[in-house]
Amino acid sequence: MLTCDDYLIPTSLDDALELMTRHSGRQRIVAGATDILPWAREGRAGDVHVEHLIDISKVAELNEVSFGKGRVRLGAATPFQRFLDRDDLVKALPNMRHCAIWFADDQIRECATVGGNLANASPAADGTPPFLALDAEIELARREDGRTVRRRMPLSQFITGPGGNQLVTDELIVAIECDALPDYGGSFEKVGHRRSLVIAVACVSALVSIDRSGRHFDDVRLAVGGVGPKALRLADVEALLRGAPIEAGVIDEASRLPLDLVQSRTRQAYRREVFRGFVSRALAGAARDAGAEIDAVEAELEVHHHA
Amino acid sequence: MPDMIVEATVNGRKIKKIAQTHQRLLDFVREELELTGTKDGCGAGECGACSMFVDGRLVKSCLVPVGKAQGSEVETIEGLGRTGELSVMQKAFHKAGASQCGYCIPGMVMAATAAIRVNPAVGDEEIKERLGGNICRCTGYQKIFDAVGLARDVMNGRLPATALDEDAAEGGRYIGANVRRLDAPSKVSGALKYAGDQVMPQMLHVQVLRSPHAHARIVSIDTSEAEAMEGVEAVVTSADVPGKDGFGVFVHDQPIMARGKVRYVGEAIAAVAAEDLLTAKRALQKIRIEWEQLAGLFDPDEAMQAGAPVVHDYAPDNLVKHIPIRKGDVERGFAEADLVIEERFETQQVEHAYLEPEAGIGYVDPDGVVTIVSPSQNITHHRHMLAEILAMPINKVRFVMSPVGGGFGGKEDMIYQGMLALLAIKSRRPVKLVFTREESIATTAKRHPSRTSYRMGLTNDGRIVASEIRVIYDGGAYGMSTEGVIRKGAILAAGPYAVPNVKIDTYGVYTNNTPSGAFRSFGSLQTQFATESMLDMAAENLGLDPFEIRRINAMQAGDLTHTKQELKSVSLLQCLDGAEKASGWETGAPTVRGATREDLDGEGCRKPCRLGARFHAEIPAPKLSEVA
Amino acid sequence: MALKRGRGVAGGWYGIARTASIDRASTWAELDDGGTAKVVTGVTEIGEGILTVLAQIAAEELGVRPWEVTIGDNDTARAPEAAHAGATRQTYMIGNSVALACREARQRLYEQMADHWGVEVSSLASRDGEIWSEGSNHRCTMREAVDISKKRGVVPVGSANFTAHHTGLDGQDGSGRPWQAYVFGAQVAEVEVDTMTGEVQVLGIWAAHDVGRAVNPKGVEGQIEGGVVQAIGQGLMEHYETKDGRTTTPGFAKYILPTALDVPKVTSVIVEDPDPIGPLGVKGIGEPAMVPTIPAVMNAIYDAIGVRITSLPATPDKIVEALRKKNESAKAVQSAA
Repeated sequence: MLTCDDYLIPTSLDDALELMTRHSGRQRIVAGATDILPWAREGRAGDVHVEHLIDISKVAELNEVSFGKGRVRLGAATPFQRFLDRDDLVKALPNMRHCAIWFADDQIRECATVGGNLANASPAADGTPPFLALDAEIELARREDGRTVRRRMPLSQFITGPGGNQLVTDELIVAIECDALPDYGGSFEKVGHRRSLVIAVACVSALVSIDRSGRHFDDVRLAVGGVGPKALRLADVEALLRGAPIEAGVIDEASRLPLDLVQSRTRQAYRREVFRGFVSRALAGAARDAGAEIDAVEAELEVHHHA
Repeated sequence: MPDMIVEATVNGRKIKKIAQTHQRLLDFVREELELTGTKDGCGAGECGACSMFVDGRLVKSCLVPVGKAQGSEVETIEGLGRTGELSVMQKAFHKAGASQCGYCIPGMVMAATAAIRVNPAVGDEEIKERLGGNICRCTGYQKIFDAVGLARDVMNGRLPATALDEDAAEGGRYIGANVRRLDAPSKVSGALKYAGDQVMPQMLHVQVLRSPHAHARIVSIDTSEAEAMEGVEAVVTSADVPGKDGFGVFVHDQPIMARGKVRYVGEAIAAVAAEDLLTAKRALQKIRIEWEQLAGLFDPDEAMQAGAPVVHDYAPDNLVKHIPIRKGDVERGFAEADLVIEERFETQQVEHAYLEPEAGIGYVDPDGVVTIVSPSQNITHHRHMLAEILAMPINKVRFVMSPVGGGFGGKEDMIYQGMLALLAIKSRRPVKLVFTREESIATTAKRHPSRTSYRMGLTNDGRIVASEIRVIYDGGAYGMSTEGVIRKGAILAAGPYAVPNVKIDTYGVYTNNTPSGAFRSFGSLQTQFATESMLDMAAENLGLDPFEIRRINAMQAGDLTHTKQELKSVSLLQCLDGAEKASGWETGAPTVRGATREDLDGEGCRKPCRLGARFHAEIPAPKLSEVA
Repeated sequence: MALKRGRGVAGGWYGIARTASIDRASTWAELDDGGTAKVVTGVTEIGEGILTVLAQIAAEELGVRPWEVTIGDNDTARAPEAAHAGATRQTYMIGNSVALACREARQRLYEQMADHWGVEVSSLASRDGEIWSEGSNHRCTMREAVDISKKRGVVPVGSANFTAHHTGLDGQDGSGRPWQAYVFGAQVAEVEVDTMTGEVQVLGIWAAHDVGRAVNPKGVEGQIEGGVVQAIGQGLMEHYETKDGRTTTPGFAKYILPTALDVPKVTSVIVEDPDPIGPLGVKGIGEPAMVPTIPAVMNAIYDAIGVRITSLPATPDKIVEALRKKNESAKAVQSAA
């Protein structure tokens, strides 16, 4: 059970940061609360008492979504459900709705925030691979000498390992900024032990743009989660595929590359099997989403996988 | 206790109430507003029983700190039928038979309502996705899907409102009629009070101290510091038991609380009744126990070996029970066989996972009758046992069965009612205990894990001539239903087939694992899984269709069972015919012929789930006549 | 294709009510004012719908309507013993005792009405809130009949006990008569196996079960559907795990249950082979519904991919591993040839 002495609900970023600094070491941040409440239960952290809980979900800036210069800026408190029900986000971020439909369930998506998902830095977090593929940057803020200091860094640097990130004491994620790619196709593959409300054993997200002929990859972005301590972009695979024909042989070759990346010590054999197939499926799925004619390629890919 | 004033609109009415800062919206609604239709099934956002609307969005209220509800509009299950009539969705759940135990149903109705509000033309696949965060353990979901589809079609005018009415029973014949469940309105509306929803004046809250060890001797227990705490009204241990301390379905080997030693992680050691839950929790931390560790026993095969740690002194061989069944001569049978198959099977430990965690209230009534209100599946036997334990006349002990939010055998054991009785007697006040989900999972009985060695002999024409089956069931730390489970497992092990030579041995053993107990199908699921797998293996070997091999061997009227009982009537052939016909089964031996079958994907098959149904409309947009 | 389909079948059987020991249940019944009914028993609704089943039985036996029947408490101090809610026994044991108690209450009313009308008791019938004498024009509502009976000084009550005569098993060879009523069942499963991820989706179950006599067919379907899905949970995903006796699956995030997205369509075929012993012919369905499901699914997985799972649950990891082994041995055979 999570208990506290007071539950603070600041409405501005400055106030939130000020409260964090004032109660430094005696506070915890609450955003969607979908992780902290289950965490403070038996079998995990047990009963936890925190003097000050600071709920940042009412901070205006953290709830803003804006578009500009080929980028999308998502306030850190944006819930995952918006990737399914906001048309502008569905259009700009073609892989996010595929991720969101796999993410927990409708109720939890209404609460769980992008900032929270990334800050927790779980190696199997659903949100990390698609944001990596979107070249996401994280904007952070903290209070220093009575003023708000901001900094930003690529998501790939922000997450340092299982549960680890670059946040310093009393610093907060303010926003996630990522590419708007309305002309791309997107995909997300995930496997757990069922199909709803489940933690991924492995997940992959792809973004693909195709050339005018519809027969070649133009740009390819690919990221995987559940492979090791943190999610990864697969730069080698992307490079191999850029400009390459959308053919089963090419995709299959690409899908063989990342196997060495599978470092997770648990269930490694299983993860390797799955990853190879997932990379193919994610690429094919994103190509289809981008408008490529892919049925024959997919059929051939299945044969490759079992060769 | 720190508190805050919460102002919000709940079910259309403005409220201003004091909340404790640590409360979740779920607690606030249930405890401060006394709206108990919303249920607490897991406390961790993993079951959906607490679903409600906040500012029009469906959330799991166990994941919402009450502070978040400040100034918001909250709508609970009680808000749906505000006019005193059930909503269309609730009526559809009633009509479709979508509620069984009912505990998940308020949350399920809210999720279904959300689905229709978001998309009045919601298709069947999208309905499933939108209910994906809500667990139901009773219905298998099918009647729930039916209900949501029915509500949708009534709301958009595809079906008349009369589709929700009771079907007429032909000629007043009610046996055989689809009478709507009489208890469904109370369940779909959230009005039904389960034990955890009930309160009594002056009621105390109970928490239980549980063993962190699997096998350890209790050298001493010191409860004095806990008892001295302000707000603590009573602390009990095994020392407070006045009578003969022991319960169980077949053997009374389990004390109300650990007596002398603990035998599994999570076993109750002491219980505290206090003015509020947090005080009771804090008091647990003040109870001092001196331990002496004992070697743990975790493997059922090891339990049967000489020199293994002993779990119960009365059973130095760790054997709860052995059930032998002998018929004919198996060795002669195997000698006659053209084909002998051997295989080993394993089944795992399984949790009942009823959506209602254990809960109960205990009080002593004005006539001195110790009364326990709890979702017990066996009030008769519990009354007997508790009277002995309390050393009271049996008519001074009363069990009332509160509505059961799912049982499946898991609520047949009297694992907490004894503590409630002792605390009610000691404190002279009503006491209430509600398990957390984690407590329910870690400390209550499970389905017996099993290891089966199977040898089956058949003739070339497919007749089983001998079956030799040996099964070890892990009973865990206490006897509970183990004896009955392994008996039923044995009797039914060789299947509904006329086998002339049978040798069956089932064993139930003690270990220091979480106890195993009664669970729907009671030991026979384990053994019949093995038999029915063996039959297919044999059919492949012999080139027989799987229906055919079962028909060849099916018991018939006049046959003797494996326990040599003559059967007057056997319906197996009718069932085989029924399943074969309904499924449109294509005849053939089970030789991995899935790829070439022509009976696949027929009537009665659903589409594989691929997720994303909402990305494209499944059915054309309707004209809307009403949205709940 | 990575997605493979297959089908399997399995049979099963089950005994009704308590095993290898005498079972009993009792009921008090009363035709009450207004032509309603009170039925009191130790009945214990655990979600299966037994309250409605008993109200249907009482209604039919007494000649009233199910919603006019009030079922008495689950209370050891206020109701006669009906033993426990389990062993697939409630429709059989309590249902039959309710029928017998209602027949006695009805008989008491009929005797008064026959005398009142000057007709033979055997000519009386009642249904749907009305009572009449066959072959005459005597007819009235149950409300009026109860009123007449009471004015004659007789409250129409009845009580009854139903016994199942089971014997224990012999300690040496296990012989005995553990049940007097048996049920049987058979199920077909159709699955899709994703050979890449190892995921199994059960798409269809066709379940034929003998229930003796279905009091409420929709309720029977509900039991079959629920049983099938619980079995699929155990077959494919559920696993309570411990390490040195301590659970490593402490909540529903780790203990994985089937959701709405993981369940098949279930087609129920209700077979009615009436029990010759009890007054109603009913048997039961709660537990037997889940017996054939797991082997049917495992046989279907084998049909799809040639892998036999003998250790539950058939998780994605286990399927992928079994496929890998199968492919390796197939390759070994090829290279040896």
